[in-house]
Amino acid sequence: MSELLDFVILSMVLVAVGIYGLVVKRNAIRMLFSIEIIANAANLLLVAFSRGLPNAQGQVVALFSIAIAAAEVAVGLGLIIVAYRLYKEIDVAELRSMRG
Amino acid sequence: MKKMVDLLSSPILVTIILGSVGLAIPAIDAGRREKGRDRNRLYSAIAFGALIVAIGIIIFRVLTGEVLPAVAFSQEVVVDDMFGSFFAIALLIVSIMVTASSWNYYKGRSNPAAYYSLILLSSIGMVVIAYSTDLVMLLVAWELMSLPTYALAGFSKRDPISNEAAIKYFMFGALSSAIIVLAIGLVYGITGTTNIGDSISALANLDASLMPIGLLAVALFIAGFGFKMGLVPFHMWLPDAYEGSPTTIGALLAAGTKKAGFAAAIRVIVLGMFALNLDWTLALAVVAVFTMTLGNLAALVQRSVPRILAYSSIAQAGYIMIGIALAPYSDQALSGSLFHIMNHAVMKSAGFIAAAAVATALAGYSLQNYRGLGRRMPITAIALSISLLALAGVPPLNGFWSKLVLFGAGINSGPIVEWGPWLAIAGVLNSALSLGYYAWIMRKMYMEDAPDMRRVKEPRAIVAVLIFAIVFMVGFGIWYTPLLNFASSAVPDLTSNITQASTITGGEGLRALPGGSGS
Repeated sequence: MSELLDFVILSMVLVAVGIYGLVVKRNAIRMLFSIEIIANAANLLLVAFSRGLPNAQGQVVALFSIAIAAAEVAVGLGLIIVAYRLYKEIDVAELRSMRG
Repeated sequence: MKKMVDLLSSPILVTIILGSVGLAIPAIDAGRREKGRDRNRLYSAIAFGALIVAIGIIIFRVLTGEVLPAVAFSQEVVVDDMFGSFFAIALLIVSIMVTASSWNYYKGRSNPAAYYSLILLSSIGMVVIAYSTDLVMLLVAWELMSLPTYALAGFSKRDPISNEAAIKYFMFGALSSAIIVLAIGLVYGITGTTNIGDSISALANLDASLMPIGLLAVALFIAGFGFKMGLVPFHMWLPDAYEGSPTTIGALLAAGTKKAGFAAAIRVIVLGMFALNLDWTLALAVVAVFTMTLGNLAALVQRSVPRILAYSSIAQAGYIMIGIALAPYSDQALSGSLFHIMNHAVMKSAGFIAAAAVATALAGYSLQNYRGLGRRMPITAIALSISLLALAGVPPLNGFWSKLVLFGAGINSGPIVEWGPWLAIAGVLNSALSLGYYAWIMRKMYMEDAPDMRRVKEPRAIVAVLIFAIVFMVGFGIWYTPLLNFASSAVPDLTSNITQASTITGGEGLRALPGGSGS
């Protein structure tokens, strides 16, 4: 039982790291990785819960979520590459042409 | 043991049709040697045809009574019920309007095959969200809806504004899906199942020591879905994304993905709210008031028409939230929300598509381009005016009736909750406020003269879409009963579903957490 608690605490620490990265960093790739850390913390939570439960649905969700996260990173990195070609940098603080 | 999914149910048929056509379009494009100028028209027609077939199947199945009455829960991953069919029809109408107007708007741009393919794939995601009754299905459909729209928002590769919109939209969208996975993880951990019905009935019988985790999970769901719905603490990406995307995609985002967010929210949050405790409703009511007020106030000072429409869609989300907040207290609240969702889908797409027509013909989005539009582009101007009046809720139009049902639900729930009538008053005041900026656009179109008052050729496909929208808005404004009845029949019967669901044994997951071992 305490083993599960360790995983939950680790997962919450990862969520905190991800939120810290999102709030503090202004580099688009760092922000993308912070989001991925949050998503992986959720996957860890799902797999850890699934160990103590009589069904495997949590592992199924985690597998789907990992596949989806890979697709998401592909789209996100594509957009960031386009941004780099346009601006020659990937600092999200520069993305402020629309205001109001 | 779960039953096999029925292969002839609406969600499966729609997935097969739209999925095969959506994947066939890029294959056809790869197979064609000569890159003619008519590619955009060909793919637009194919995608339009597929969407018409899909909506035809759903309407046929509703009319022949083959779909189940609206149920909140099911033991399967998707359920073919009236609630899902209602949202599927509303969302497919949006996709059809977007695809048809892209016939003109997307002419001469690069990669038409990928553009229409992504619209079709995103439509599958939106439709399946409305039908899904399992959190796994909901997550996969949510991502199937979101991923194509990230690419579509940034589809104008050389346009920095489009890229900026796409990156903002992507960052918040990816964060919202990470939050949803986290919420699913927590719900799975304390209830031991990912089926929405089972997990909600397990939440209703939750051990008191696990209650904070249940509340955290519902709060995370509200945050995750709230990003797509554009509720106020989570709205900051929305005006930029809707303004910067190609304007037809703005219509898809504002009228399509946002409504799918509401479908997911009604399936999960409204029913979860019933199970946990009713205190959530006051929080949602506060969110509703802030959402509509902020949307309307910010729209007052904008100078670009897509941006005004984006802020107005935040305000409209606030009106829809009135019905969601009052769902436990009044029978008509959720049907008002659904009615307004259907109306808003058409009104907002008409607004964005009229802006797309102006962008195609005059190459500009700012209010200066709309001067004298009443004489330069008469059909576009009249369609934009009618959609704006319907958004404001002026009597003979459809927007008036759905707002009447919503605000009436607020007043009727007065004996049960004292803040119900105040919600209705906030809605009425906000509608009056919103008329300020809607009338401002109409004043530009009809009362001011442009330097060049010559008639501009209006794009033909867009005119056809706009005429459809005018017929819908005026027709269902005069003859509103069928749509209202359809919306009412699509509302799941909440009270009976909760009692029915709580007979299902749940809560085997309580032992998974340290505190829950005693239950």
